[in-house]
Amino acid sequence: MAVKGKEFSTSPELLKTCFHDLHVSLNATMVPFAGYSMPVLYKAHTHLASHKWTRTNAGLFDVSHMLQHKFSGPDAVKLLEIVTPGDIQGLSDFNSTLSVLLNDKGGIIDDTIITRWDKDTFYVVTNAGCRDKDLAFLKSEIQKNGLSVNHEIIYGGLLALQGPKAAQTLQQFTSADLSKLTFGSSTFLNLGSFGDVHVARGGYTGEDGFEISITDPKAAVDFAKALIEEKSDTVIPVGLAARDSLRLEAGMCLYGHELNESITPIEAGLAWVIGKNRRQLGDSAANFNGAQTILSQLNNKKELVFKTRIGFTSKGPAARENCDIFVRDEKVGIVTSGSPSPSLGGNIGMAYINKPYNKIGTDITILVRGKPRSATVAKMPFLQPNYYRG
Amino acid sequence: MFSVATRRFAFSAFKSAPVFRAATPRLFAPSLRFYSNALTKDSIVTKYSAGPIKVAYTEDHEWVALHEDGTAFVGITKYAADALGDATFVELATVGDAVEIGDSIGSIESVKSASEIYAPVTGEVSEANQLLDSNPGLVNQDPMGEGWIAQLQVGPNYDLSNLLDAAKYEEFLKSDH
Repeated sequence: MAVKGKEFSTSPELLKTCFHDLHVSLNATMVPFAGYSMPVLYKAHTHLASHKWTRTNAGLFDVSHMLQHKFSGPDAVKLLEIVTPGDIQGLSDFNSTLSVLLNDKGGIIDDTIITRWDKDTFYVVTNAGCRDKDLAFLKSEIQKNGLSVNHEIIYGGLLALQGPKAAQTLQQFTSADLSKLTFGSSTFLNLGSFGDVHVARGGYTGEDGFEISITDPKAAVDFAKALIEEKSDTVIPVGLAARDSLRLEAGMCLYGHELNESITPIEAGLAWVIGKNRRQLGDSAANFNGAQTILSQLNNKKELVFKTRIGFTSKGPAARENCDIFVRDEKVGIVTSGSPSPSLGGNIGMAYINKPYNKIGTDITILVRGKPRSATVAKMPFLQPNYYRG
Repeated sequence: MFSVATRRFAFSAFKSAPVFRAATPRLFAPSLRFYSNALTKDSIVTKYSAGPIKVAYTEDHEWVALHEDGTAFVGITKYAADALGDATFVELATVGDAVEIGDSIGSIESVKSASEIYAPVTGEVSEANQLLDSNPGLVNQDPMGEGWIAQLQVGPNYDLSNLLDAAKYEEFLKSDH
């Protein structure tokens, strides 16, 4: 038997999040991931069990490896409207939007969540794997455009509590009414002895949930312990393995797989990240990086977009990243993520495929370990999201 | 015949595709202390006859238990099952296929990884473990017993000389593999 698994980057000097010792004490298998030593599985819970628990109860994820930024100053909006295509000006206080950092060619440097704290202050989370290039990029954009923006990094713990029982669990730690906090919004919250934290409702699993930023590392660890130890009827710690299968079922992109610097948001099926007021070439608002390429594609998909991100389903051995896709004997695409779906049974995946084979229902053939397997282009998300919209 | 797939298909596009045979990933590699890669005593793979006349292992983490009538049970080791994680799907060999050493006789999938199963000995597929169709988790529960993958009927000139015995396999696990 030979086993093909996902490769994680290796680095001699791995960083540790503030939860590292807790992971180790919970018998996590630690792997190098984006320069950090991160838990992939905890001994008490298999991959399937962790995945299913998150879909029915609540999973606690350490996502402190992600980079938390604070941008403030009179040109903060201007900066964010140069580096992303979002309607940042129109974002209300304590509301979040998913967006992408763009290069001059319209390629995606990273995906990001932007939350407005006040008129001139924004909380931005980017991927751990893009840390160095994002920092260099943002610094250079601020300088190049002569902007008055203060860019700080927020350190500490970042936890994601995800699942249908996330809200009832978190509610037990605060007197604030969480039913008023809807998907895509955020607030500062007092968690009693754990202090004040920033909580954003949303996440990366398709479930209701929260991303909780706790700047004091000791309070962060104490809070994680309290969730795991005192709320063990609803909360288990969940590692990267299930994080990946959960986000795939939710149809969410993983940078480096579905997204990279040679893919535009239009090709990635993320046209909705482009603000409604920023879509007209020639308008003063259409001034974000790569606007020429992206808006040309948006307004003429037929002639300027040749490939697009799709979902697919299959039975039998799962098609995984880098498997080639064929229609008849012509190579028409490549798989970017794929695995069995713990919630749905069968296999799911995402791919880039040439038009017109992107149409839902198209029968395709994917070469899996040397053997052609049938698959079908399918609608995403594979699983209906369970967001709390009040 | 369940031979290497690239030989089976006429599509020119498929011919050049590599069949990979990657090493066991370290991702889920469990600690060495916890597993025993011995056949399950009260399972069919032992009780099929008075007892197997030979038990051997491959460096691909498969085991083979040969009985006197030439029936060889094949499965994956406890080490491999633990490394794979929860099995979600097992592709079974086709009964009647003639296979040579190294030919694919199926595959096992977990959410995170996939593994091809290779014939450790030349023979003909006489049975596939149909229970795995509806219960792939059997591979995790009892990989060296009721979670067997296939039975091969081997000829009188079978050759297990290139395989490892139990002690050599455990040694192999301790080495860098």
